[in-house]
Amino acid sequence: MSKCIIDGREVEFTPGQNLIEVAKKAGIDIPFFCYHPGLSVVAQCRMCAVEIEKMPKLQTACSTVAAEGMVVKTKSPRTAQNQKAVMEFLLINHPLDCPICDKSGECDLQDNSYRHGDLYSRYTEERRTYLDLDMGPVIQKNMNRCIHCTRCIRFGDEIAGIREMVALQRGNNTQISTVDGRALETDYAGNYADICPTGSLTVKDFRFKKRVWFLKKTSTVCEGCSRGCNMEIHQDANVIYRCIPRENMQINKYWLCDEGRFNFQYVNDENRVVAPMVNHSVSDWGLSIDQAKKVLMGKKIAVLVGSDLTQEEGSHLLEFLPKHFPGSPIFHFGTPGLNTAEKDGDADRILKRKSKTSNLHGLEKLGFQGFDKMPKEINAVLVIRGGRAILPDLKGLVAVGLGVFMAPQVEEFSVILPGTSFAEKDGTIVNYEGQAQRIRRAILPPGQCKGLSEVLMMWVNSKSSSGAA
Amino acid sequence: MGTKILSKKFYNEMIQLEPRYPTKVALLLPALHAAQDEFGWLSPEVMEEIGSYIGIHPAQVREVASFYTMYNLRPVGKYHLKICTNVACCLRGADELVSHCEKKLGIQCGETTKDKKFTIMEEECLGACGTAPAMMLNNDYYENLDVVQLDELLENLE
Ligand code: SF4
Ligand code: SF4
Ligand code: FES
Repeated sequence: MSKCIIDGREVEFTPGQNLIEVAKKAGIDIPFFCYHPGLSVVAQCRMCAVEIEKMPKLQTACSTVAAEGMVVKTKSPRTAQNQKAVMEFLLINHPLDCPICDKSGECDLQDNSYRHGDLYSRYTEERRTYLDLDMGPVIQKNMNRCIHCTRCIRFGDEIAGIREMVALQRGNNTQISTVDGRALETDYAGNYADICPTGSLTVKDFRFKKRVWFLKKTSTVCEGCSRGCNMEIHQDANVIYRCIPRENMQINKYWLCDEGRFNFQYVNDENRVVAPMVNHSVSDWGLSIDQAKKVLMGKKIAVLVGSDLTQEEGSHLLEFLPKHFPGSPIFHFGTPGLNTAEKDGDADRILKRKSKTSNLHGLEKLGFQGFDKMPKEINAVLVIRGGRAILPDLKGLVAVGLGVFMAPQVEEFSVILPGTSFAEKDGTIVNYEGQAQRIRRAILPPGQCKGLSEVLMMWVNSKSSSGAA
Repeated sequence: MGTKILSKKFYNEMIQLEPRYPTKVALLLPALHAAQDEFGWLSPEVMEEIGSYIGIHPAQVREVASFYTMYNLRPVGKYHLKICTNVACCLRGADELVSHCEKKLGIQCGETTKDKKFTIMEEECLGACGTAPAMMLNNDYYENLDVVQLDELLENLE
């Protein structure tokens, strides 16, 4: 292993690693703005400059690879002096509006200013000011807070594959924008806000909703498709405010697609059925289960199992269904036109997969068969799902739903037993590569919603006999 | 894309130039110049068309065009005065030239006269520090200028 010396400590590194990464491994933070491990290195902001022995000038740590025997000083007076100067420069035009800025509390500019900047500014001249720019449904831009680090431009170019965010004009007039403030085209736009080291790019959906330090974070996995991107759910008082990506170099690196990022919104949807319903009126759990059994009694039933359920839920059902619905066919469903894992594939060149549910591959491993067409003799269905599997056409069938449903989806249903979404339960899902990952409960289920195993237990213990013919 | 705004001549020129460059993106600067020669300025539609011809996002065309002051992103007058106001020229009286022009033509720097004849702009260094103060009138250089010479020049244009 090669070694270099950082702040008097011997640190090992793999050849090719830059000084920011090497130092980070040793627990030494070198402040930076324009560097991002997932993007190309441009050495533009100069914040990361450090002193290196035998080199006359400070060197930018992001663009300097560690070398055997290199002696680096990240806290020397010269380094600190540069950091102070860079901070002063970057804040020249900054409005210092942290109290009303959504980034406040998780802002690199704020943190680095606090740690390395000066308490006072010598700047008395007029600051450049711009009006906010609406960049489509996802992002709002505040140019006053921008430090021209170009991370967003590089993200568009290198990851999203579209050069829609650009630097217009030059020098003091440089403005980061789209053409005439056009809407962003990429469906990975939320990442622009994540990687912006300032409050310049903000996610509209989250603006002014919550100060970030009130948010409790739960590490989980996106249920938006069979990729299984790692993410964090941020909630306060049992309300989810946002989801952000969690680094996983094997699966999603540092990114999330917008569909996955905003998928959580259905969890808080006002249309969500959160109490047991019999023929459109709220009922109680015991009566609803009895009624479900009654309407299914004597019918030819098919069971549809959403591929948005976890492995644990799938295994429970494999035990439960053959006993209580003997002879009924069982199918998994989730994405129309995609009824086997074999048909799943990449939906774009970035992250999205064709399967719009997270656990298609897992349920198939457990032995569930895909839904194609309703067998002729069937006249009733039991639908069990999370919140994402897309319902097939169930016209003319007696239907009982168990899981997460929105009211307009289930107008025809006789009974609805409200279940839990991905954010309200623990479990395992298996992505398209066979990678098993844990999803974790971030909030409690709303209203009277119950987890699947509890509902199955109530079903078994309820007095009336089971419904199958 | 519907009908093309740029002429056949433009496209022929591009086809001739293309082999000179290692990549098609490198055609961007000459393409912007050629388009500007045709229309006098670069309208958003023209830049859109150049982008789709070269195969880059129109935002990238805008980025490059807005970086260089030689490209006009707004229509300019028949006579486009670009007066250098960088250090050397300022030391030799460029400010005076600018305010003289402004007064004479009744417009501010960056504006165009109502009859669309004159546009005045400040320029950051024309590379003519040795012969300061310098000015460009359309594509020609005028050096070692003073107010009297400038007046003569403007009179001949009117
Ligand atoms: S908007 Fe944010 S990411 Fe983009 S250049 Fe400005 S500070 Fe950097
Ligand atoms: S690519 Fe799939 S798993 Fe990843 S964030 Fe998007 S929907 Fe979620
Ligand atoms: S992080 Fe190194 S110069 Fe910006």
